[in-house]
Amino acid sequence: MSEQSSTQARAAKRYSRDMILASLLYTAVVFGGVLAIKQDLPHWAVIVIALLPILPALLMLRAYLVFLKGMDEFHRQVQGEAVAIAAGVTGFGSFTYGFLEEWAGFPHLPLIWVLPVLIFAWGVALCVVRLRYK
Amino acid sequence: MRNRLKVLRAERNWSQADLADKLDVSRQSVNAIETGKYDPSLPLAFKIAALFGLPIEHIFSAEDVAQAAE
Repeated sequence: MSEQSSTQARAAKRYSRDMILASLLYTAVVFGGVLAIKQDLPHWAVIVIALLPILPALLMLRAYLVFLKGMDEFHRQVQGEAVAIAAGVTGFGSFTYGFLEEWAGFPHLPLIWVLPVLIFAWGVALCVVRLRYK
Repeated sequence: MRNRLKVLRAERNWSQADLADKLDVSRQSVNAIETGKYDPSLPLAFKIAALFGLPIEHIFSAEDVAQAAE
């Protein structure tokens, strides 16, 4: 007997498929981008190339949102709590580090790390919230 | 909120997974409702009531709400 409802199982299957496709596309775009920016390209072309990885990343976000819709209400609440905790940790963490950077001379951290930190925090928060409901 | 879900389920010899299948929710959801860690939405509560053929208030009781009304 499955732990998931049939609706959720279908949603999970679709999520896996969409996530794998988006990840492959992301990898291809990043590798292509790294090679492309080594060429002598006009600045506008470099800007376009720099924005390209956002498209597969948005596909990943779309896959997650579709997956969320396929969950039952209890799991949507668990996800919501985890996302709220992750957003709080990431938001206040980057805000705090911003002050340390500006006022206390801490080393500069690129903004590109915000999303990975958010995703990592969401993963940890999800484990914590799930434990609470066990 | 307190509920009699576990008792009603046991009376019918249904496992949590059986009940979850009938409601099209996950087993974890049934467990969370039974243990009182999660209160179902009104539509799901109606679905549960219809499945057991009982009024909602015969399954779920909110003592704090009753006390507040007194």
